[in-house]
Amino acid sequence: MSDTDSDKAALLRLYEEKRANLVRVFAARLNSRAEAEDLVQDLFIRISGLEVLEPIDNPSALLHRIGSNLMLDRLRSQKRSGARDTDWRDVNTTVLAGQEVADQPLADEVVNSRQRLQALVKAVEDLPEKTQQAFRLHKLEGLSHAETARRMNISVSTVEKHISSALKTLTRRLR
Amino acid sequence: MSRSAQYLQEAADWLTRLQRPEAGEADWLAFDAWLEEPGAREAYDAVQAVDEEIFERGAALRGALTEPRRVAGKRPFSVDWRWLGGLGATAAAAAIALTLAPWGELLPQPDTLYSTAKGESRVIQLADGSRIDLNTDSNLSVRLEDDARRVTIHDGQALFDVARDERRPFLITVGDETVRVLGTKFDVRRRDGRLAVTVLRGAVEVSTEGEGKPVRLRPGQMLEHVDGSGAPVVRTVSTEEQVSWRSGRLVYRDQTLGRVVSDLNHYFERPLRLEGVSTANLRFSGVLIVDGQDAMVRRLTSLMPISATPTDDSILLRERSSPAK
Repeated sequence: MSDTDSDKAALLRLYEEKRANLVRVFAARLNSRAEAEDLVQDLFIRISGLEVLEPIDNPSALLHRIGSNLMLDRLRSQKRSGARDTDWRDVNTTVLAGQEVADQPLADEVVNSRQRLQALVKAVEDLPEKTQQAFRLHKLEGLSHAETARRMNISVSTVEKHISSALKTLTRRLR
Repeated sequence: MSRSAQYLQEAADWLTRLQRPEAGEADWLAFDAWLEEPGAREAYDAVQAVDEEIFERGAALRGALTEPRRVAGKRPFSVDWRWLGGLGATAAAAAIALTLAPWGELLPQPDTLYSTAKGESRVIQLADGSRIDLNTDSNLSVRLEDDARRVTIHDGQALFDVARDERRPFLITVGDETVRVLGTKFDVRRRDGRLAVTVLRGAVEVSTEGEGKPVRLRPGQMLEHVDGSGAPVVRTVSTEEQVSWRSGRLVYRDQTLGRVVSDLNHYFERPLRLEGVSTANLRFSGVLIVDGQDAMVRRLTSLMPISATPTDDSILLRERSSPAK
């Protein structure tokens, strides 16, 4: 067994070890745990077929680098946020417009979903003014941290503090 | 900050940092190390799940949060963030005057009209910190002035949570009643010439046009009055049931089918019609989950001695003839 072969075996072992955390890191930008799981599965296929020609000096960073490329492909190939918003709205509108809901068990889901949305709305409304503004511009209007900072005439790091504080508060209230 | 709150804050900081477009290997290595701390994974997973939910429901959330457009639009109340000012102002036992006068007379022109379509409900957050939950098929106007906050309920049902502001009374115009609200949270329903006011928190005084002494309502009490009739009736109710519409449920205790049908017809375009003299007077007690019309009708027919027949433009409900007769 050559050094590079054992490097590859080590990479695969490290993958197993870091798998859950890789899902976590990619879920942040993909906004989807399920999609991050998919990506990390793809990552496994990539590294299984990887021809290791040189010693790997930082295998953990390599896993992240390959995964990041896969992530950027995904972000580019889909206009994801728009598509999802529409999906959800379609479903919701059907129910709100009072059209038929075929399966009765769905009723509770609909009610739960509406209650959950109400709770979310209330929690956002209760955020402090600046925090709420930053949260809405970034999370709901889709502006980047930098764009939000320009719009509010504050620094990027202040924007990030607001966003982070909003996320903490919403998580405490909603989980 | 408690330990768990601190982990949540750290987790939220991490998620925000990882969402920067320039986040790279160094961030990953540090993040991976941070995750080894006890409690870190759970905290991060919780924050990420909420972030994902916000992303998934962005459109719905945005819709529910956006202030409706102004109809008259006289003052530059532009949809900036000022209207959000004063959020979270809790409304303690504030003395708020709520005047219900012949509508249209007290108010010159309504400023902002808020409406919901059949089957829709919405939350209105006013600039003063007050909050109005508007039920299906309802219309009300709001006008915030320097000396008063004015609301006109044209039709429908709304739950008010009024922020304390002693210098600006909260005035509501509905039907031909005068109500003085001393408390802050109450439900007002106006349908088919009937007014119902239910108090959840605080106290309310209601005086009918031309009547002498106002009626004082405490939490848990509901006042009902039919336009043009005599004195209003006050009774004790379950406030939870009165505002159950907010969670998509209709709760009835010994109500007529006529009332149930009238309620349902505010949710769905296709009307339910009652046939037969006694059908409307059948009594119903129970909880109806508001979902699809057909499903609701199906449940009603299984709970009550009625049958449903769809026609081209409506659904006919009639009492099932009992075999004994």
